[in-house]
Amino acid sequence: MLVETVTMELPDVKTVHLKWPEGYDPGDFKTGQFITVYWPHKPKYKRAYSLSSSGLDRGFYDVTVKRDGKMGTSIVDWVEAGDKLFVIPPAGRFLPVFDPPGKHLICVAGGSGVTPFRGFVREATARNLDTRITVLYTVKTTKDIIFEKEFRELEAQNPRFKFHVTCTRLAPEDPWTGRRGRITPDWVKSFVTDPAETVFYACGTNEMVNGIEHLVIHDLGLPKEQMKLEKWG
Amino acid sequence: MSSQVPADLRYTKSHEWVRIAGDTATVGITDHAQHELTDVVFVELPAIGRKVKAGEAVAVVESVKTASDIYSPVSGEIIAVNDAVVQDPALTNSAPYAAGHFFQVRLSAPAEVDSLLTPADYAKQVGA
Repeated sequence: MLVETVTMELPDVKTVHLKWPEGYDPGDFKTGQFITVYWPHKPKYKRAYSLSSSGLDRGFYDVTVKRDGKMGTSIVDWVEAGDKLFVIPPAGRFLPVFDPPGKHLICVAGGSGVTPFRGFVREATARNLDTRITVLYTVKTTKDIIFEKEFRELEAQNPRFKFHVTCTRLAPEDPWTGRRGRITPDWVKSFVTDPAETVFYACGTNEMVNGIEHLVIHDLGLPKEQMKLEKWG
Repeated sequence: MSSQVPADLRYTKSHEWVRIAGDTATVGITDHAQHELTDVVFVELPAIGRKVKAGEAVAVVESVKTASDIYSPVSGEIIAVNDAVVQDPALTNSAPYAAGHFFQVRLSAPAEVDSLLTPADYAKQVGA
């Protein structure tokens, strides 16, 4: 699949815009799914990346890749428009619950774990859904926030979307006025207004995702079906 | 899902296992770790002869989802690496305690082994 454009989101994070070839039809893929990519000369070495585009987007896939591992390093350092990557069509069950309507999706993200939520919010905003989406995003510093401008713009367009960032490693003298510190159960719980109508998503480190699992199952006593998790190490 | 935690090994909090035989430690990653990583697609191992310290990052394992450093649980010299797992990284998933092991270290400080996690401690950590 042709790399049509690339965008450096941060010095170590790049969005790759992959153009579907003529006649390509991935069928009914959905927001929140991932594609698997590999190089033509290394077919056994594959990496999966969440789509940062949405299921409404036709004709292309966006993946937003952190400089991590051989694939992440080569993509961030080397991939440019005109290159080609092999792509296995979207798969995965990390899907936003837009139907039935009226749900509140609390999406907890760490670092590049925020990328699938861009698709969630894009679709909900484009379709003017009544689904509420709250993204709770943990990063080391304000320089590590991926898609900040776009999330702020979506927040302005969509009154049911809220974007909250917490920074874990800011210097005390940093002018950031937002929240500091790690994501805590109490912070997450403060956004829950109707537990029965809330669906929790977590995408990030195992530690963070396990923490959300514990919160949902043990602290809130909710069924597993109200939780969707994506761990990446 | 319950993970295998063999009773004849010692463990680290970062999910490496160690099998001690005389002055040699064989090292790999645990069943729990391979399960969390999902399909392993790349393994990079240290050079034979390298002197390593306990807790030092010495190898890299990469799955379809993520890349992780592997830390030597013990100090010593790398005396062997498992080329089979480099050629076929999926062995990490299919046989983490056998054909999918990573490397061997000749111990320079055997007493370090006593401070590693016991099977019971590790099983508690991972909920096995």
